[in-house]
Amino acid sequence: MASEQRLIVMAGTDERDLTRLAEYEAIDGYSALQKARGMTPQAVIDDVIASELRGRGGAFFPTGRKWSFVPKPEQNPNPHYVVVNADESEPGSFKDNEIMSRVPHRFLEGCLIAAHAIESKNVFVYIRGEYTGPYEILLAALKELEGRPDLRGDVTIVLHRGAGAYICGEETALLESLEGKRGQPRTKPPFPAGQGLYASPTVVNNVETLATLPPIIEMGGAEYAKLGVPDSRGTRVVSISGHVERPGNYEIENGTSLRELIYDLGGGIPGGRDLKAVIPGGSSTVILKGDEIDVGYDFNSLLKLNTAMGSAGVVALDDRCCMVQLGIRISEFYEHESCGKCTPCREGTRWMTQILRRLESGEALQSELDLLLDVCDRINGKCLCPLGETAAVAVASYVEKFRGEFSAHVEQGGCPFGDASPLHDVLAPVAMGGHLPSAVPV
Amino acid sequence: MSATETVTLTIDGVAVEVPKGTGLVEAALAAGIEIPVFCYEPRLGPAVGACRMCLCQIEPGPPKPQAACTLTAQDGMVVRTALTSAVAADAQNATLEFILVNHPLDCPVCDKGGECPLQDLTFRYGPGNTRMTFPKRTFEKPIPVSPLIALDRERCILCYRCTRFSEGVAEDGQLVAVDRGAGTMIATFGDEPYRAPFSGNVIELCPVGALTSTTYRFEARPWEILDVPTVCGMCPVGCNVNATTREGNVKRILSRNHPEVDDGWLCDKGRFSYAHLHAEDRVCDPILRVRRRGFEEVSWERALDEAERLLREANGRIVTALSGSETIEEAYALGKLLRRGLGAHTAFFPEESSDALDAFRVPLSAIRDADVVAVLGDAPVVERAPIVELWIKEARRRGARVLYELDEEAVRGAETAILVWCGPGGHGGATVAVLAQRLGLSGAFYIPETANGRGVCDAWSCSDDAESASPDPIGLLIVSGDEAAANPDVRALAEKAERVLVISMFQGLAAGWADLVLPGTSYLERDGTYINLEGRVQRLRRTVIPPVPDELAWISKLAERFDVELSPYPALVFEEVSAIAFGGIPFGEIGERSPLPAATGASAQIELGEADGPAVDGGLRLVRYRPLFSGPAVERVHELDFQRPQPEAELSEEDARSLGVRNGEEITIRSNGTSVRLRARLSRELRPGVVRVSDDFAGELKPAVEISK
Amino acid sequence: MSTYYEEVQEIKAQYPDGRSAALPALRLAQEKHGYLSPEALRECADALGTTPALCEAVASFYDMLHLAPTGRHIVEVCTNVSCALVGAQQVLESFEQELGIRAGETTDDGEVTLRPIECLGGCGWATVVSIDHHYRTHVKPADVPAIVQELRSGE
Ligand SMILES: Cc1cc2nc3c(=O)[nH]c(=O)nc-3n(C[C@H](O)[C@H](O)[C@H](O)COP(=O)(O)O)c2cc1C
Ligand code: SF4
Ligand code: FES
Repeated sequence: MASEQRLIVMAGTDERDLTRLAEYEAIDGYSALQKARGMTPQAVIDDVIASELRGRGGAFFPTGRKWSFVPKPEQNPNPHYVVVNADESEPGSFKDNEIMSRVPHRFLEGCLIAAHAIESKNVFVYIRGEYTGPYEILLAALKELEGRPDLRGDVTIVLHRGAGAYICGEETALLESLEGKRGQPRTKPPFPAGQGLYASPTVVNNVETLATLPPIIEMGGAEYAKLGVPDSRGTRVVSISGHVERPGNYEIENGTSLRELIYDLGGGIPGGRDLKAVIPGGSSTVILKGDEIDVGYDFNSLLKLNTAMGSAGVVALDDRCCMVQLGIRISEFYEHESCGKCTPCREGTRWMTQILRRLESGEALQSELDLLLDVCDRINGKCLCPLGETAAVAVASYVEKFRGEFSAHVEQGGCPFGDASPLHDVLAPVAMGGHLPSAVPV
Repeated sequence: MSATETVTLTIDGVAVEVPKGTGLVEAALAAGIEIPVFCYEPRLGPAVGACRMCLCQIEPGPPKPQAACTLTAQDGMVVRTALTSAVAADAQNATLEFILVNHPLDCPVCDKGGECPLQDLTFRYGPGNTRMTFPKRTFEKPIPVSPLIALDRERCILCYRCTRFSEGVAEDGQLVAVDRGAGTMIATFGDEPYRAPFSGNVIELCPVGALTSTTYRFEARPWEILDVPTVCGMCPVGCNVNATTREGNVKRILSRNHPEVDDGWLCDKGRFSYAHLHAEDRVCDPILRVRRRGFEEVSWERALDEAERLLREANGRIVTALSGSETIEEAYALGKLLRRGLGAHTAFFPEESSDALDAFRVPLSAIRDADVVAVLGDAPVVERAPIVELWIKEARRRGARVLYELDEEAVRGAETAILVWCGPGGHGGATVAVLAQRLGLSGAFYIPETANGRGVCDAWSCSDDAESASPDPIGLLIVSGDEAAANPDVRALAEKAERVLVISMFQGLAAGWADLVLPGTSYLERDGTYINLEGRVQRLRRTVIPPVPDELAWISKLAERFDVELSPYPALVFEEVSAIAFGGIPFGEIGERSPLPAATGASAQIELGEADGPAVDGGLRLVRYRPLFSGPAVERVHELDFQRPQPEAELSEEDARSLGVRNGEEITIRSNGTSVRLRARLSRELRPGVVRVSDDFAGELKPAVEISK
Repeated sequence: MSTYYEEVQEIKAQYPDGRSAALPALRLAQEKHGYLSPEALRECADALGTTPALCEAVASFYDMLHLAPTGRHIVEVCTNVSCALVGAQQVLESFEQELGIRAGETTDDGEVTLRPIECLGGCGWATVVSIDHHYRTHVKPADVPAIVQELRSGE
């Protein structure tokens, strides 16, 4: 596969300012919507099934199939809702940020296509609270759309801003938050398709998933399915960050090799350093060692290495980085973002952080390494939602793949890298206690 | 009737057949297997799956263990609990280890010790030692959540039972979880207390010692206590309770779930009022007015002589003012003594009572399953019969339409419609029965003001059948019980009576106006029966020996002096009443959870009383009500002081809108030259045209009022 | 100009269930009162038709809602992995030096609150610093004095 971008979602951005409706229409924007509206809702769903599009939010669930679980209005007369997951908060991912900022109309067009497919009149875009920039751009785009009843039809789109909580990216937590509650995940079943927002039929889709719909409808599902590799069709907007020369978002065909992503598109490791490790799909994925990058960036290839594309956030780490420090910072993140509903995640992520800090400081015994793995194991598979589980799996993978380095911390009574590692002594929000003044920090 | 559909599943190798829709926890119980739980409590709504204590291996399903509490039994399901699955056992052990990471393990000084699910489950499934290498999270403790409830955050395992109760059952929104992750804490708003009528339930819901009762703290260990099953006597609902006693003292009141009556909830009045047994002004010896010298305590022998003398001297010109809190047996005994022995037939009842509604008798739990619930009468249900309010709330959550104004079309159109009458104009249920008949209702309730008004009235009328006359002047007024003693109408009668005999628990209520005070007892000290607002006959059990002889004991002694045969044993007295009024059911068969007698056929004719409430043109109609937290017993429990009503006036949302009044704004309510200033509280539980204020703040206001900002 | 109460009613009207207006209503209350003081929460509760306790429960769950006073400006430095790899900690420390406070604190004059924050979703443009919820990207320690100067001079 060629190490170049393939612009489908981002098509046209290289030449035009597509934030403006006129510019977007100049490249046939919203024609896919008109085409979809000429089709029956079922035909749209079928075409999306044919495209083999799978969700870009992280779980990679087939989009058309998800829609087909939504009861028809005659089966469930409650209003149907399209809820957009624009809460992008996974460390390493910033693709939805760029998609909303640069192709807001394509994204809104996708929302309207999805609304048509599941016969919904209400779209709620849950956009993370920190994204002021994208919010303002979307708001402006929405204003333009308001003036165009021919495009908007009888669908209302409401932008709903989050207020700072990673867990609200989990779809049921997002729904709780959208209902005005604390963003704690719900147990599944029932699934949102049947009982989602206000206990009504609901589809939750990621920004990129929706922004991919116009091109799919335009070219036809079958045509789209020719892109990419089996089980991972089409393109993906990949966020590349960390130790690369040219960090940024790149839209690639699925299956492009990770090495090309890092070395060609990303421009390689700065300062001619060695690549030590790669987080392939955002902080919640199993880490890859520097020599494991000759792998296609697609579902099946990564699965063979026990990892995943996740939210497509590729983070490269060079040879100065301490993996215990990485573990601390990631564990601190999950501890801070744990919603606190289920026991293993709430207590376990905090415990993980504590052990990792002891390891880094050299106080830990060798047995605590196995204790750490055991704590991870006891979190994994026991939680209510994937947050706790992915925290455990990700951190456990650092230990498993860099065990020698972890042991060295015990043996040397401290960190072999010390402050040479860029992750040394980074201040994380959780280290400052909760954000309520009355919470007692430890 | 079609048989309920069932499913068959296997739990730890045991096959069980259960009705479709049964939760796995209950299905396992049916197979004799325990799936341990903390957060699971079906009365709190759908399972939340938070604590992860119930993890089991379940097929079909993902390979990882699943939260059994969130699943329902399916045909062919294979469930393996910790008993037969290493995966489940490991998961449960893991959950306990995680819970204990930050739990202080201060069991020796914890009130919950000995009756603590966490302790029990740790014993059964938990890790034997700790693998922690860092300090536990600590919190300031204990924190008063209110004068009634203490919170120890270190012990909290964040099962969210208490907050789910507050938000989803009581709907008071006072007790919440704040912050998130490992920093999550249970809290009220700022320093404000958890002020709500049902707050105490969270103590019982808490599966550990995090929420404890301030009045029970450090009072007893579970192995020293004795629970006595009885019925609450504080309101007409008659919640089933256990009185925890230690060495002859009531230490706390717990619910004893009657699923048709209370569903396991209690109001704070019922839960915390028991301290009135030890009121400072409790009357322990009879008190006699002695000419010129005032009052003096006398022996029981002397007191009975005096009582006999008063009775004889009155020459039949006796009026008995009843409280509605006497047991059926007491009321019957009084009636028999006075009516048969002295021909004194006149009684003053605190309220009207009628059997007209027996034709529409359904259990309170039927409210939950109704499609339409019409709540009429304008007085706040929660203040009179708090648990009924919880049933109504649950009905609403389940999708029922709750009407506060009679919408006949909606009522007739509903498959099951239930009427709840609370307020003036119900005529003891008679008017309500007329309505119920006319509208073809599935069930109807009339909420009286007293706990056993109906029982007392029935018992009195069973005791003799002569007509009553109105003696004038009254030779002797007998005031039976504290509610009667506190009743201004009774006080007015006393002014007109030559002599007054008061039966009272409290000196403060009886002293000064009685010629003779005989010590009274509390519902917690009596054996006997009550009839609740459903028409259910329930057993009161003596939970502790009172410091004074109970009423039945001395009434029967007195009866002897008038040649009236009266047993001092409630069982025997009940049998006399029962033969007349309750179809002869024996005392012993009432049982701990008494059944509701079947509805009787509709009364041939129901006499309609006068129209309800005074008509008010133009302005609004003021409904004043007696607040829940009031009355002689409550006033003697200082921990309950903070629950007294707030200076508020309830307005319907519509009236508020047309007056331009917002929730929380100060308003002036005016009538006939007087006015009060109160905070407005918008209520969707009020029909337009009515404003509601508790007696505490209604001042001199008349029924017709005007409101301005 | 419409009052806070009216604004909240308008927001509520956008949703099938007015309770959904909780986050926007809290955000507005915070803007009006500076932070979510007890009065702010009470006002919010009255407008939403709920209790202050439930408002606090919701507010305290989210990082962007503040239950304690903050400075007039909020500087948030992302210290998650991608930013940390290219020097976020040094950027944070430069702010500490320049402002004369530790992370988590507010300057004595009540102008600026500094805090580290979790991933802001700008990993490729590290280090990302959010100033009053507007992103500055590619921030280096050397850029910090100018940014602080800008804040201090009021715009
Ligand atoms: C902890 C957690 C965080 C998540 N965050 C996001 C997110 O920020 N954006 C997103 O689109 N999906 C996120 N997801 C995935 C969503 O739950 C859900 O699968 C997705 O929104 C579905 O959309 P899609 O099918 O279009 O991918 C997250 C999941 C978890 C468990
Ligand atoms: S896994 Fe973590 S984030 Fe998910 S429900 Fe449990 S506590 Fe909340
Ligand atoms: S009992 Fe099932 S998760 Fe708590």
